[in-house]
Amino acid sequence: MKRPVLVRRHRPLRGGQPLAFAVGLILALAVGAVLLMAADHEPLRVYQRMFEKSLGDQNAWSLTLNRAVPLGLAGLAVAVAGSMGLWNIGAEGQILAGAIGAAWVARIGGTWPGPMLLTGMLVGAVIGGGLLALVPAMARARIGVNEIITTLMLNEIALRLLQWLIHGPWKDPDSYNFPLTPVLPAQAHLPTLFGRAHFGVIIAGAVILVFGIAASRTAWGYELRVAGSSADTARYAGISLKRKILTVLLLSGGVAGLAGGVELSGTADRLTEGISNGFGYAGIIVAALALMRPSGVAAVALLFGAVQVGGQSIQIIGVPASISTILQAFILFGAIGAGVFVRYSLRLVPTGVDASGEGGTAA
Amino acid sequence: MIGLLVATVSFGALLYLAALGELISEKAGVLNLGVEGMMAMGAVSAFMAAHQTGNPWIGLVVGILAGALTGLLHGWFTVVLGAEQVVSGLSLTILGLGFAAYMGKNVVGRPPGAVLAPVDWGPLTDIPWAGPVLFGQAPFVYLAVLVGIATWFVLSRTRAGLALRAAGESASTADAAGHSVVGLRLCAVGIGGGLAGASGAYLTLTLTPQWAEGITAGRGWIAVALVIFGAWRPGRAAVGALLFGGLLALKTRLQTFGVDFSPILLSMLPYVSTIAVLIAISVRARNRPSPAPAALGTAYRREER
Amino acid sequence: MSQAAAVELVDIWKRFPGVVANAGANLRVERGTVHAVLGENGAGKSTLMNVLSGVYRPDEGEVRLDGTPQRFHTPADALAAGIGMVHQEFRLVPSFTVAENVVLGSAERILRRQDVEARVDEVARRFGLATEPDRPVWQLSMGERQRVEILKSLWRDARILILDEPTAVLTPNEADELGEVLRHMADDGRSVIFISHKLHEVTGFCDVATVLRGGETVAASLPVAETDAATLANLMVGSTSLAGERPPYRTPGEVRLAVSGLCALDDRGLPALHDVDLEIRSGEIVGIAGVAGNGQRELAQVAAGLRGSTAGSVHLDGKDVTSAPPRRRFGLGLCYIPEDRIGVGLAPRLSVVENAVLRTYKGHRRGPFLVGSRLTAYCRDLVERFGVRTGALGDPIAGLSGGNLQRLLVGRELSGRPDVVVAAQPTRGLDVQGVKAIQDLLVAERDAGTAVLLISEDLDELLTLADRLLVMHEGRIVAAFDPMDSERSVIGEAMAGHLADEGAA
Repeated sequence: MKRPVLVRRHRPLRGGQPLAFAVGLILALAVGAVLLMAADHEPLRVYQRMFEKSLGDQNAWSLTLNRAVPLGLAGLAVAVAGSMGLWNIGAEGQILAGAIGAAWVARIGGTWPGPMLLTGMLVGAVIGGGLLALVPAMARARIGVNEIITTLMLNEIALRLLQWLIHGPWKDPDSYNFPLTPVLPAQAHLPTLFGRAHFGVIIAGAVILVFGIAASRTAWGYELRVAGSSADTARYAGISLKRKILTVLLLSGGVAGLAGGVELSGTADRLTEGISNGFGYAGIIVAALALMRPSGVAAVALLFGAVQVGGQSIQIIGVPASISTILQAFILFGAIGAGVFVRYSLRLVPTGVDASGEGGTAA
Repeated sequence: MIGLLVATVSFGALLYLAALGELISEKAGVLNLGVEGMMAMGAVSAFMAAHQTGNPWIGLVVGILAGALTGLLHGWFTVVLGAEQVVSGLSLTILGLGFAAYMGKNVVGRPPGAVLAPVDWGPLTDIPWAGPVLFGQAPFVYLAVLVGIATWFVLSRTRAGLALRAAGESASTADAAGHSVVGLRLCAVGIGGGLAGASGAYLTLTLTPQWAEGITAGRGWIAVALVIFGAWRPGRAAVGALLFGGLLALKTRLQTFGVDFSPILLSMLPYVSTIAVLIAISVRARNRPSPAPAALGTAYRREER
Repeated sequence: MSQAAAVELVDIWKRFPGVVANAGANLRVERGTVHAVLGENGAGKSTLMNVLSGVYRPDEGEVRLDGTPQRFHTPADALAAGIGMVHQEFRLVPSFTVAENVVLGSAERILRRQDVEARVDEVARRFGLATEPDRPVWQLSMGERQRVEILKSLWRDARILILDEPTAVLTPNEADELGEVLRHMADDGRSVIFISHKLHEVTGFCDVATVLRGGETVAASLPVAETDAATLANLMVGSTSLAGERPPYRTPGEVRLAVSGLCALDDRGLPALHDVDLEIRSGEIVGIAGVAGNGQRELAQVAAGLRGSTAGSVHLDGKDVTSAPPRRRFGLGLCYIPEDRIGVGLAPRLSVVENAVLRTYKGHRRGPFLVGSRLTAYCRDLVERFGVRTGALGDPIAGLSGGNLQRLLVGRELSGRPDVVVAAQPTRGLDVQGVKAIQDLLVAERDAGTAVLLISEDLDELLTLADRLLVMHEGRIVAAFDPMDSERSVIGEAMAGHLADEGAA
């Protein structure tokens, strides 16, 4: 009798991840087609419209790029922490905190000239996101508190903080008691590149590029990889873990915060509860699909941006936008499933035989 | 004031059901951050089933099954394929919320087909204070209590519980002792999903009772927090559930009590206190093991000995 | 053959990629005996026992219990057939109580706690294993944990108990107690298989010995009473005798590493080092002998700067480095070969290049950037000089064998031309060739004038390499010996804490 056994490859299959990603995409489209048919929609028509409205022309591309900006920055935030083996689940909250920081600068600097105000807002956003990451960062670096739960909890805390500001201190006195903040000053909007695409595309691209180079080419990035691979090895090599954890989590929070600031000054006209739209959580999927590599984050964010923009475009023809959420999750699940075969190979072995690939040292 | 206590118990049971599910799953070593998604799936499925059949009990069963199936998806990817639990769990939340919204688009705002009304305990309900608080509750409250006791008993007093805890503390030890780690963990994740589904069903069959997108409103996260707040013990989690449930109940009543404090800020408390508990655990855990299952979050593959 | 033996392993072959671990190994264990399986590291003892306990299935050969051929698919099958194995790494759940650990996998549906504890206690008493069934395992000493492991097998009524190097973690007292427990079990009609490479234990507790070398059985079922340690040693090592190959002793130079009054805590926060004084001079190898867990590990870590000290000082070439971080000590010429190769010395998921430059990457910078070509060139040079066999240099080190990993690690450390080498268990778990290669490197280093601190659990290795031998016991250096002129038995006494006054340092 034979049974299938997964045997770990000594090194992952080359080019396996894009392949796994493609498998995920196909699976997601297949599942989506079934769901669409179940609700009496024509999958091909829906997918065609999604494609046209997200990648079909210049205007569609501009919308997709705008969407890819927060997704890419959030994904980068997760990936920066992930390259060191840390989980920043708090990107969602940090985006909100970043948006709050930017909005605060816009409140006090309403009369500043545009470039100064925008710079101030983005700095405020980075600081806001970083501040939200401060407690998890300190707790992890100083006393080893697992950052997964602390960052997760802070998402909810940041959301409540934002709600409180909107309903309370920052409520527009002229809003007839609606929970709305005043609209941003006119000069607090990022300049437009083409179509709807705003300057945030360049900011996000530049930030991702800088981190990509820093992670792969510098001594700092090398130290991160060592620390991510084994904490004891890092200590042995004289790399200060505490400082690394602290800087990486704060940077991660700052990058996510920047996403909030860019989103506020790029696409919104006032601070609202829905400013993030789940970008922080989607960013975790983006980073996971990109295997925590900045270059991959950009590509995956673009695709997820297209799926989200496409998803919004089909509401007009009566298809719920939630189909795009389902597609995103299934892309990940499909890619995880396929990704197993990037790291493992499947062998059929007679029952009972151990599958120890590393048996050579076990003598 | 009685209203507040009634609501405290009622909200507490909602959180407790989902938290027990997460506790069981984590005790077996699987962190499932998909509670929110499983709750949403349970909520919409239960509502639709009750809507179709007019029988709330069928709704409950369908809700539990939907939650369990959603949970098993996480189990398949993390336990069988060894995917990262954090990523898979969060995707499950996203998937569950999206899927539930898609499924339920035609029943949004519809009147319920059937509800699970409070149990009639006869004269017991007339006891002052204790009557309405303890005996005026929906079946879900008693279900939560029963499941809590059962969880405690099974985990600490049975072979199955011992094996399940071993899978969460040291999977290789459980494996060496002849237990199937994959089987135990899948079971735990499935039961966990079922309880999250029951919690969701409670929302749409009793508490609200309606279906709307986003009806879970972050309560799944409170359930995750509760497990930590309760230091992975069913009893302490029950206390935590009452505290957090009390906060939820108080939130809508602050103004009626004439307290000038933002209910929104009050609703931060569960999360803030959970962070505080986590930090306290870590400070105390210097010379003794943390109450968290030691293998929590790690995949197990036998050949990686 | 009058009666079938309790265990028969017949002509077992087991091959792994690149290694033949068992090449026709045989073993026959009678009921009611304590049977030693002897062999050097890499002789195939562990593989053979893993075959017997169902972890591996043999490529060829047969496992028979009481004459009946067996096919074990999993360890659980072997367990069900009455084979219990106590691994070197304990399979215990630290947060569980003793009783919970013992009954895990064989409990009744409903656990009545006090009842279970009473029954576990009863079984423990029957075999002279003192335990407290209601204590959590994390509070227990290593010796107590081992008793729990043995108890697990007895609870399942194992008729054959395999112990893999059980005394490595024990104090001499505990080892003696273990001997008594094993005797109890044999008298009860069970069979005990005792894997070891320590001869005095074999002659102390065992009835019969089988010796493995290079995966083959070279001596089967020798009655211990009719043989002696020297015969067994010769069988283990084969024709190459360890003694006599000692490199000539030279006069050492000036003091390189000086440790005085050093105290430190272990991982649990308990005192591990008490007032340790130590000087190592240029051109000498100072060996530290001792039973595992007597402070050797902590001494190496404090010297390397990976563990803080609570009192005392560490001087490197006369400079006080007591509170200097590891990187500064490396800069001052101290290199460290840690006992945990992967996970401390080498980062598991990183590539060969990334691991090779762990100590020196800062020297390959241009601005904040690392120069990839220089890193690769450096690594290639290292790999060639130290004969590390690797695949592509950019591949993760996971594909390297233990010997090559250690060559990479030792090569990296020594390539910095150190003044002081701290080597903790540098040859543990390596095959014969690997051991030789690492030992030669250390000797060459010594001959080039480096001061070497060699910590090893292998007394033979220390006697071969060390110029001076110190013995640690319970965190203190309790004796000093001249390896050229000392009796093993006297050193063994010191390791056990029995002090001869004239031997004390």
